[in-house]
This record gives sequence, structure tokens and C-alpha cells, in this order.
Amino acid sequence: MPSLFVIRGNDQGTRFELEDNTLRLGRDASSGIQIHDTEVSRQHAEIRRVDRDFAIRDLHSSNGTFVNGQRVERHRLSSGDHVQVGSTLMLYTGPSDGPEEDLAETISIATVQQTEDHSQIIHSVTEEEGSRIFEPGSEFLQNPWLARARSNLQVMYRTALAVSHTLDIDQLLHRIMELIFEWVDADRGCIMLADPPSKTLVPTVRRTRSGIRGDKRITISKTILDYVTERNEGVLTSDARQDERFDAAASIVQMGVREAICVPMRGRYDVVGAIYIDTSTPPQDVFRRGGTNKFTEDHLKLMVAIAHQAALAVEDTRYYSAMVQAERLAAIGQTVATLSHHIKNILQGIRGGSYLIELGLTEHDESVVDKGWKIVEKNQNKISTLVMDMLTFSKEREPDLATANVNQVVGDVIELMQARADELDVELHWQPDPAMPDLVFDPEGLHRAVLNVVTNGVDAAGEREGSGRTAVRSAYSAEKAMVQITVEDNGPGIPPDQIDQLFSPFVSTKKSRGTGLGLPVSQKILSEHGGRILVRSTPERGSRFILELPAVMPQPDTHATG
Amino acid sequence: MEGAALDRQRSVLIVDHSEETREVLQTALQRRGLQTFSASRAGPGLELARRHHPDLIVLDLELDQANPEDLSAPFAEQSRTDHTALVMLGTVRRDRAGMPEGEFVAKPYHYGPLIRRIEELLDTMPESFGPGA
Repeated sequence: MPSLFVIRGNDQGTRFELEDNTLRLGRDASSGIQIHDTEVSRQHAEIRRVDRDFAIRDLHSSNGTFVNGQRVERHRLSSGDHVQVGSTLMLYTGPSDGPEEDLAETISIATVQQTEDHSQIIHSVTEEEGSRIFEPGSEFLQNPWLARARSNLQVMYRTALAVSHTLDIDQLLHRIMELIFEWVDADRGCIMLADPPSKTLVPTVRRTRSGIRGDKRITISKTILDYVTERNEGVLTSDARQDERFDAAASIVQMGVREAICVPMRGRYDVVGAIYIDTSTPPQDVFRRGGTNKFTEDHLKLMVAIAHQAALAVEDTRYYSAMVQAERLAAIGQTVATLSHHIKNILQGIRGGSYLIELGLTEHDESVVDKGWKIVEKNQNKISTLVMDMLTFSKEREPDLATANVNQVVGDVIELMQARADELDVELHWQPDPAMPDLVFDPEGLHRAVLNVVTNGVDAAGEREGSGRTAVRSAYSAEKAMVQITVEDNGPGIPPDQIDQLFSPFVSTKKSRGTGLGLPVSQKILSEHGGRILVRSTPERGSRFILELPAVMPQPDTHATG
Repeated sequence: MEGAALDRQRSVLIVDHSEETREVLQTALQRRGLQTFSASRAGPGLELARRHHPDLIVLDLELDQANPEDLSAPFAEQSRTDHTALVMLGTVRRDRAGMPEGEFVAKPYHYGPLIRRIEELLDTMPESFGPGA
């Protein structure tokens, strides 16, 4: 689905899915896309569907709407566009291209016999060898330009490798610094990152070549830093006096020459920081070589390229963490919402029961007290089930093994569920396998697992309003050493897009009734036994859940402890 | 309970998915001399409302899978037609246009005040509007 993803601003990490044909974007709470940014107008812009894509129109906002850095009145968005309103930057992703074709149909992997293609392998290269393309062969050594080009290419290749394998920004920057030091004759270096809100540069990594004496403190001119970050240009500086009017020699004799390179780390969206390196040439060397050129324009160009790579990686890492963080917050929110809803319902039940007890006591009518008490008791059980489910789900546990019969356990569940089935007018059918032997498993755990699945089955069948049916059967296979408990309902089925979430905790589709813990708990119990749950569901037809449990025979001489 | 109400028994329809809530409300209201009907789903609930024209409808807004706005709309219309009171348990989204007329009681609520409110509403209802009158 087309979306706007906030990559910078207070709403960073939020994804707005563009579902409707027309959406308002603004600070106002009624906006479909609400942006928490004081520089955004209440009704800032409108996003409207045009064919498959979307177009944005500025609604005479105070600060304007920008697409890819250009102020626009109206703009048709295409995938990858950056939309900026106030200080919020968003990335537009359009609909996926065309109907998805099955690539398997257009690309086939054929055996030799099947194909007309008589290609043969004439040369092969290992991955390791591939990285050696940058090593100058002897024939190139004579050509200094080629040699330099190769060496530069090699640095870029290694930079690309360095930035591609990390989600830890500090580690990434250290690697970059190391790479720079291996490649260029720098004495000191540091990387500064822009602190997102204030944009001030904060030193993040520093490095000094071992054996370098002198000033430990790196002083970088603010003028140079500002120049680099604001104009987005790398600079090469030297404190050697260029001006003929100075007595160059005298100053160099005293100080030597300090050269520095400072480049911006420019990413896709912004300057995220700067890299600075410098080197000092002692006076005697300056005279011996007749000048200094440790840092050249080539170095500068390559540094700009390295910094750009590093910046892209920094941005990717930041957005990735922002996204993970946003998803985690959403998951916590969902959990809390589902749980509080469920607890609220239990509380409501307890209040009802207490009210009846009070009424019965005032009117000296025991039957009303009794009614109230039953309700309170039922809700106590609900709380206890909820807590047990939460515990089962949250901790690693070993099944409490005992010798028992699956038919007995499932039969208990059926008996327990009969009342609910009657209430919902659902026919609950139970067909035990007469050949079911006693087996070793955790009877209490299995009870809980089956109960959750049967509860779902009855609730689903209840949607049929009078013609609901839930069938439960057990089957033992000696051959496969396996027990299957099948729960089938003729309810509305599970929409295909929800099947994936079926076993995710705290995601309930039963709205007010579900805790979202039932199926995850059942699955956990089954997998603790080395079993699994299989699901098949057809919308409008119903669902079938199969609980598979490995059949473990009790040892004939010893009784399993229970 | 009061003499004035005795010439025609007042009735309340309870539409709530929770059997417990229905039981509590029915028990309490019947003890106050009111006739009660109840349903666990919107469809049968609406049918009862059309057939019996109750004086007051208590509607749980967390019924079925429907959203509260869609759910309450036909009941609101029915209560307008019958000039009866509508008490909704739960909340609807404020910013939606066409919020149904009636009273809202946020969950979780206390039964005492809810039942007192139901009685008040029934007492203040003009007798002549009762469809059975």
C-alpha cells in the first residue's frame, strides 16, 4: 500500500498508509495524517489519489510544502520522493509495480537435457579472487595514473564493505576511520556527528597515529566546519603561507606545515556529520622534499566519497532503529490495550456480581445473592485463566509430564465448553478415538491448549447465529507415534491476511472477548511437547485447527511422576 | 413501582453480548417492576425493539464485530421513531458526524448509578408518547 514514512521530525518512525482517496495532512487532530510539528499548519496540505499514485497539494500553508527540496503548490508523487512540511521529512512509497507476476513462470532453472542452450563454463572466479581485482598487476605498475585509480577503487570497495555490515553506528565509524588511516598518511583524525535536534556537531570517533607526539587536542576551526557542513563541500587546508609577502621559510622553520582535510558526511536527506583528518610535516622534511603534498586533491575527492558512503550507512542505521523502536512501541501499546480491555470486562463482571449480592442482602433474597456470587466466581476464574496464560506465555517452562489419556483431557474441555456452546446456540460434537492409549504428556498444559482452541471454535461457530457447529475429534496413529486433536468449526473463517498474525501474542480478532493470548499459549504448550498446531481456514466456510502431539508411551516398569 | 406507572408496565430492552450484564440488569430491573427483554446481538435486539417498542433500550456498544457508530445508528433511529430513551454502554468517537442522540455510560461502570439513571429516564418520559398508550 502507498505510504508516507516519517524519516525526520517528532513523528519519526511513523508510517501513514494512504488508504483513502483524499487525505488531509496537518497539525489538526482531525487530519488523516496528523503531524506533530509546530511549523506545520493546522490544515497544511491535501493528498489525493490520482490513478494508482498520489498527488500532494499545498493548502496555502504558512511554511509551504516541499518535494525533493523544491517548494510546490501541487505535485504528483512518485516512489522515493521526499516530502517536507515544517521540519518533518517524509518518504513517499508508491504502489508496487503492476500485478505481481510469478517469477517462477518467467525464469526457469533447467537441466542440461531440457535446454537448447549449450553454454559451457569457460572461466570461474571465487569471491575471494574477485576482491583482488584491485591489486595492481605488474604491467600496470609503470602507469602511475592507472595504479592510483586502482588504489582509489580499492579504497571505495573496502569502504562499501565496511559500511554494509553493521547496525552499530559507533562501530561503523571506527571502521571508517581505520580505513582512512590505512590509506592516507594522516596523523590525527576525528568524525563528528550532528546531534539530530540541535544540529551541533559532536565528536564521536577520534584517532591518532601511534608515535605521534605533540598536541593531543585536535582543534578544528569553526569557520571551516561551518563551511563544510553548510556548503556541503569538502576542503583541503594548509597553514603553509601562500602569500609571498610573508617570509614563508621562517614560519615553516618554526612550525612545520599542517595540512588538513575536512569533508561533510552528506547522506540522502541531510548532512549527518563531518570527517576531519590532518597531518603535520616537520620543518626539516619540508625543506628536504621541497614542499609538502601529503594531502592531495585526489585524497580530498576520495574522502568526500567515503564520507558520503558513511553518511548513507549512518542514516540507514538511524532510520532502521527508529523503525524498530516505533514497532516496539506499537506492540507494547497493542498489548496494553488488549489486556486492559480484557481486565475491564472482568471488572465489569465482578461489579455486576457484587451489585446483585448487595441487592440480595438488602432485600434478604438469597437467590439473588446466589446469582451474584456465581458471577463473581466466574470472573475470578477468568482472571485466573488470564494470569495463567500470561505466565505460560512469558516464561520458559518444562511440561509437567504425567501418564494420562488425551480423550479424558479433551472430554473435560468439551464438558466445560458445553455451557458456552449452549449460550451461543452452537452444536458441540465430540468424537474420541476409541483406540487412544494412555500416553505421557502434560495433562494440565494440554487441557489449556485444547481449551483455547475449542473456545475459539465455539465462538467462531456462534457467528452462524443458530446453525453453528464445532466438531472435535481425536485420532491416534501408532505408526506415526502421533496424536491429532482436530477442532473444526463452520464459522466465518479467518481472512488470509490475518492468518500470519494468528499466533502473535496480544493480537485478538475477537475484539471484546479475546485476550490475544489463547492461540500463542496453545502453540507454546504444543511446541514444548515437540508438537505443533496446523491451521486451515476458508473464509465463509470455517476453520480447522489440528493439534499434533507426539505419542510417548509410558515406561512399563516405572510410572512417570506427575 | 409508583402508582402512575402501573396502568401500563414499562419495559426495557437490554442488548449486550455479556450474559452477566444481561442477568444483572434484568434481575435488578424486574425487581423494580419493569418488564425486560434481552438479546446478545444487534440483529435480534433490533427485532425485539421493533416488535415490543420498549420504553428504554440499553445498548452495549461493543457488540459483535461492528464499530460503535454503525452499531448504534439503527437503534438510535428506532428510539427516535418510538420516542424512547437510549442508553449506550461504551463510547463512540467524538469527531464522527452524526453522533447518535442518547446517553453514554463509559465502561467500566457501576450498576447502582446506571440503574438509577434508567429509572430517572423512565420517570421523566411523557406518558402519552408510550406506543402502547
